[in-house]
Amino acid sequence: MTVHAQRAVPLWSLQDICKGFPGVQANNHIDIDLPAGEIHGLLGENGCGKSTLIKILSGVQQPDSGRILHNGREVTFDGPGAARREGIATVYQEFSLIPHLTVAENISMGRHPRRRGGLMVDWRAVTAEAQRILGQLGLEIDPAARVTDLSVAEQQLVEIAKALSQDATLLILDEPTTALGQEEIVALHRLLRRMKESGVGILYISHRLDEVVELVDSFTVLKDGRVVSAAGQTRLDVDEIVTRMIGSDISEHFPKEDNTRDEVVLTVRGARTAHRVADVSFDLRRGEVLGLGGVIGSGRTEIARAVFGADRLLAGEVTLDGRRLRLRGPADAIAAGIALVPENRKTEGLFFNFAAGPNITMAHLRGVTRGPLFDHRREDRVCVDYIDDLAITPSARTKLVNLISGGNQQKVLIARWLFSDSRIVILDEPTQGIDVGAKLAVYRLINDLTRAGKSVILISSAHNELIAMSDRIAIVKHGRVTDIRPAHEVSPTDLVSATEAAHHDIAAVAAVQKSEVLS
Amino acid sequence: MKRSTLAEFLGPIVALVIIVGVVAVTTPNFLATANFQNIALQAAVLSIVAIGSTVVILTGGIDLSPGSMIALITMALAAMIKLDGWGLMLAIPAALAIGGALGAVNGFLVAYLRIPAFIVTLAGLSALKGIALTIGGGTPIVSLSPNLETLFYGQVLGIPLPFIYVLVLYALAVFTLNHTKFGREIYAIGGNEAAARLSGIKVKRVRLLAFVIAGVCAGIGGVLLAARLNSGSPNYGTLIELQAIAAAVVGGASLAGGRGHVFNTLIGVLIITVVQNGLNLNAVSPAVQSIAIGLIILLAVTLDLWRGHLSRILRAQFTRTPALATPAKGL
Ligand SMILES: Nc1ncnc2c1ncn2[C@@H]1O[C@H](COP(=O)(O)OP(=O)(O)OP(=O)(O)O)[C@@H](O)[C@H]1O
Ligand SMILES: [Mg+2]
Repeated sequence: MTVHAQRAVPLWSLQDICKGFPGVQANNHIDIDLPAGEIHGLLGENGCGKSTLIKILSGVQQPDSGRILHNGREVTFDGPGAARREGIATVYQEFSLIPHLTVAENISMGRHPRRRGGLMVDWRAVTAEAQRILGQLGLEIDPAARVTDLSVAEQQLVEIAKALSQDATLLILDEPTTALGQEEIVALHRLLRRMKESGVGILYISHRLDEVVELVDSFTVLKDGRVVSAAGQTRLDVDEIVTRMIGSDISEHFPKEDNTRDEVVLTVRGARTAHRVADVSFDLRRGEVLGLGGVIGSGRTEIARAVFGADRLLAGEVTLDGRRLRLRGPADAIAAGIALVPENRKTEGLFFNFAAGPNITMAHLRGVTRGPLFDHRREDRVCVDYIDDLAITPSARTKLVNLISGGNQQKVLIARWLFSDSRIVILDEPTQGIDVGAKLAVYRLINDLTRAGKSVILISSAHNELIAMSDRIAIVKHGRVTDIRPAHEVSPTDLVSATEAAHHDIAAVAAVQKSEVLS
Repeated sequence: MKRSTLAEFLGPIVALVIIVGVVAVTTPNFLATANFQNIALQAAVLSIVAIGSTVVILTGGIDLSPGSMIALITMALAAMIKLDGWGLMLAIPAALAIGGALGAVNGFLVAYLRIPAFIVTLAGLSALKGIALTIGGGTPIVSLSPNLETLFYGQVLGIPLPFIYVLVLYALAVFTLNHTKFGREIYAIGGNEAAARLSGIKVKRVRLLAFVIAGVCAGIGGVLLAARLNSGSPNYGTLIELQAIAAAVVGGASLAGGRGHVFNTLIGVLIITVVQNGLNLNAVSPAVQSIAIGLIILLAVTLDLWRGHLSRILRAQFTRTPALATPAKGL
């Protein structure tokens, strides 16, 4: 086949794809062309059908109707293996790594190099292959580390590495950067551009619109399962995309209110845990938003876990209203009025055996019980209220939460901690995977909380969001708070350069973990 | 779990009705009133033990020890009555307490020392049987007390007592699991243990309590079995743990935890008992009966795995516009 012919026919093309689930038409007559050497953005609100479309293209789900063309030839995928053999590699929104296997094993999963006539896996080749891919990505993750021992960000990077290692002609990434810091995103973009130049087609989904505008050559916007807008090779503009996505004109801005009062409510002094927190001290005032800034692996999540009683304090203390807290576990923190929206909604957040209602009330069952008895009707009312407040998809009321879209899952998780009515709310990457409209809703919620005299600790890898929504920012480095400054004095470059050595951190952590395993 | 839809109950009940129909047609004496009573009495002990097994399964655990626990408890009860001369008012509560205490040991090892439930209760299966054999020299102790027999064969208003025990205990279990905070916590732990802990649930305590419940259920089962046979024996209860687990699974509970309904376990018990009864009446050998039970378990699990798939096929056949279909759950 000539190069010329390839240019005329798009490398991959989706034609008239339809896919329905009970109660919702997730994909409705969708057409998209994916030429070789182009990065195509797929945008739209939570639940508009993006993940469904990429699952169809990856063979995970089968379309009700429509055609998938590869170089103009129709193909059908009866499973993910078939799509992979046809040259499609996918980074799924929900991670697909196997937790108890090593990084290297995960990367070559399903196509381990063989030796001795294909009978035995060539483990040395598996490790070498993993090392090569991780090196390309500029990552210093140990191929022999087990995936459970990695941070969420590192897991996401391994997930990406796994897809990159497949030498695909089409690379699909469904929100690959939700857990990544600025530096990792830059590195990923650099790599994607390189792949595009070598002729790979790329389909890219993200709710970080600034990032999308920066990266993609063309894009498609979905709304309620339909294509509402497609544009190629034009200059993109965030406001315009947002308008097309939501159908109204709201720009991505930060409605920050300053509600800080003088009174200090929470103090942390000399906190140390077995998990990265080395020596942390800070104060939190009434109505204040304290941002934790720093790179991946610096220990922000672990500080949150320490304050929440999820990791035991080896030294130091946490006091609330001058009273020293005895934190034997999260139950104690919750009883004292502390909430934590965890970073990893799948493993630490949601109950996939429940619909939204029980997921929302779980941290505050007393709010829906009379004595020991459940008031199911009250629980349902609570659920409906939050569905309204946070614009969660109404089907969340009856559907198990694994059947609602990723962004809606995140909203359910946030709702749980709003319902718990806590005075100190720790938000660990609260806007990951949610669309602009919902982000704005989260910002407004932060304002509501602080206006009501509650205090917020905010962790976010989106620097503009962290700076805009915080009153003060504590810079975290190697498990220590190195500096606390008013947010308006912090620039995005401070957050990166203040802690330049992201990769050293990752390496250090891997080393620590290895020694923990050995000891 | 949230109040359940009709569809979730329909599957096992439909299966039970079909099986009863098939057995009724193929087996002459099946429909006799006396036989129905017989089935119900046979099912009583198993159905009570299965409550405990279901609760443990809902937390994501498994309990292999009730069979040996029952052996031990019937022997202990017999020894207390016959050898030590205790009255029933003392011996029965003591027997139940033994069940609870053994459950607490299981629960402690699983929840606090983090030993997998399968290992802990497998060890229990072996060790408790051994202890049962040391009581009274390992030979059955018979003719315990006529009053004890009444506990099983007695009637209130013409209703056999075991019916009443089963109904009351199932009502209690359904109520606890669906309408109390503790019940919700059981499902939560089975659904996602890490998330449960981060939601403030005292995971270890709830796990421990689940095993205590299983132990008490085994205790009640043991007392009833001793009453039914008016004796204690180290051989009583053998393999009942597997039947109880099978009943829960046939009733739709997921061994991964977090999904299932205790009421469906009762249906599962009835399915298993009716099949056994039908095979008995047709003079099928016990070996073949074992095989039949094994096949039922396989079939139930396969159907469960296929349920989502089947419903999708059916919907695609019967609905023109999927967008308008109402959300359906389960079947
Ligand atoms: N397996 C399923 N069963 C039933 N409904 C489903 C299933 N998968 C997806 N849906 C529904 O299809 C719709 C589209 O979901 P999808 O995950 O594609 O959204 P998305 O655009 O990826 O959203 P997000 O940005 O939040 O990730 C949602 O309403 C969702 O609830
Ligand atoms: Mg999605």
